[in-house]
Amino acid sequence: MTRQTSHLDTDVLAEFRAGLITGRRRRAIAAHVKDCARCTAADNQLAELSALLAAVPAPVMPDSVAQRLDAALAAEVAHKNEAERAVAHHSRDRRRPPRMARRPTLQFVMTRVLVPAAAVVVLAAGGYGLSLIGGQSSSSSSATAGSAAEPAAASAVPSAAQANGLSAPTASGRVAEPAIQNSALGLVPNATDFRPATLRSQLEAALRVSAATSSAPHPTEPLAACVRRLTSGVSPGTLKLIQSAYYQGRPAIVIIASSGSGYLAWVVTPGWVAPGCSATSAGVLARTTLPGISAP
Amino acid sequence: MPGADGPPSDTDLLRRHVAGDSEAFGELFRRHRDRLWAVALRTTGDPEEAGDALQDAMISAFRRAGDFRGDSAVTTWLHRIVVNACLDRLRRKAARPTVSAGDEQAFEALAVQDSDPARTTDTRLDINAALQILPPQQRAALLVVDMLGFSVADAAIILDTSQGTVKSRCARARARLLPHVAHLRGNRSASESVSPAQGGDA
Repeated sequence: MTRQTSHLDTDVLAEFRAGLITGRRRRAIAAHVKDCARCTAADNQLAELSALLAAVPAPVMPDSVAQRLDAALAAEVAHKNEAERAVAHHSRDRRRPPRMARRPTLQFVMTRVLVPAAAVVVLAAGGYGLSLIGGQSSSSSSATAGSAAEPAAASAVPSAAQANGLSAPTASGRVAEPAIQNSALGLVPNATDFRPATLRSQLEAALRVSAATSSAPHPTEPLAACVRRLTSGVSPGTLKLIQSAYYQGRPAIVIIASSGSGYLAWVVTPGWVAPGCSATSAGVLARTTLPGISAP
Repeated sequence: MPGADGPPSDTDLLRRHVAGDSEAFGELFRRHRDRLWAVALRTTGDPEEAGDALQDAMISAFRRAGDFRGDSAVTTWLHRIVVNACLDRLRRKAARPTVSAGDEQAFEALAVQDSDPARTTDTRLDINAALQILPPQQRAALLVVDMLGFSVADAAIILDTSQGTVKSRCARARARLLPHVAHLRGNRSASESVSPAQGGDA
């Protein structure tokens, strides 16, 4: 061990370089490397390797991954907001889980507005950046301000509330809003990867599940404006579902509105939500009709 | 909200997220996600797995932000979560009866394609391919220390192990990788007088 008669193993050299070998053995190796051209070369190569690794340029995240992460985060934020609202709703008889963050402003809203739990979508101005914030009362009122031109369908309020099995004692008096805000929006995360061949059956399944389980969120701008434009030709244009999901493996937003006795459905990219969005603008991936399904 | 002048610190953003600011986490994550993507891609060696792992990690960090105690930098904490998510996925993948891409044969297949001398070798591609011959734990250690430049102390936090283990994983990884990247060094510095001795003993 003290005397290196043969060349050093690369493993030993690497350990030597990493400072894992100490004492007498270290001194012996150092002495050998100093006198042995071949081991010196190998030692240099190890040093070069680390330098080479440090210099490798980082791969760039593909847009598809970035969009998918944005959609997943948006869904998570929506989920959290809904959960917190649900907790607040039942705070009289259920204690709040300890790791739930306290949200003073939201709490204030919730004690007054006992509408069904809502998820609110806010799109970053930059395009695909999708994030969600809570606070249906204040945000939907600002949404209202930005969309005064849209026709209202106030009758959607009680039907949407009843569909969710909830009476909606909207005590704050801020509830008079255009059709979309008052409709049963449900932006919830949906892991479904919608496919062209099975789109309609998948959409029907999503609608069924949504009608049975989900509460009624309100979208804020700019998604609300885009959805209104999308559904403007639909009478009465009652929105039934908005979900963040996937279409052919890529993040997508699924929108379903009732139309007569059936439904109209759209699948759009997260990037569709931008100025100029419409039923015909780029980003509408698919469009289809669904027959009426019986509400559970 | 704080941060009147200049962007908020990572710690500020995480604190705001825990306090209920719905946008703080997104801002924090977007700040680091390119780097975290690099970690995920190189650890898993597969864009699909990397995307899944990064999403797992992001959601995990979102939910577990309250556990962050400030013992390390936020970036160290984020890297730890990402590396864990990747290694978890690799473990699960290894448990599935599929052909592993992380073996020497797979590397040789990649190396043959990349050895076309008429083509400028893409160092990045080759390194990523070469990294896949390493066992995941060694690959993660080498990535964190040599490629990302974390200190051994921070790497130990990220990899949830001792500093000694980090060092030995790195050493073994370098020794194992060396013969496979010799051609890269050759391309980069063919005129340098480093003799190609690595073929002798191997």
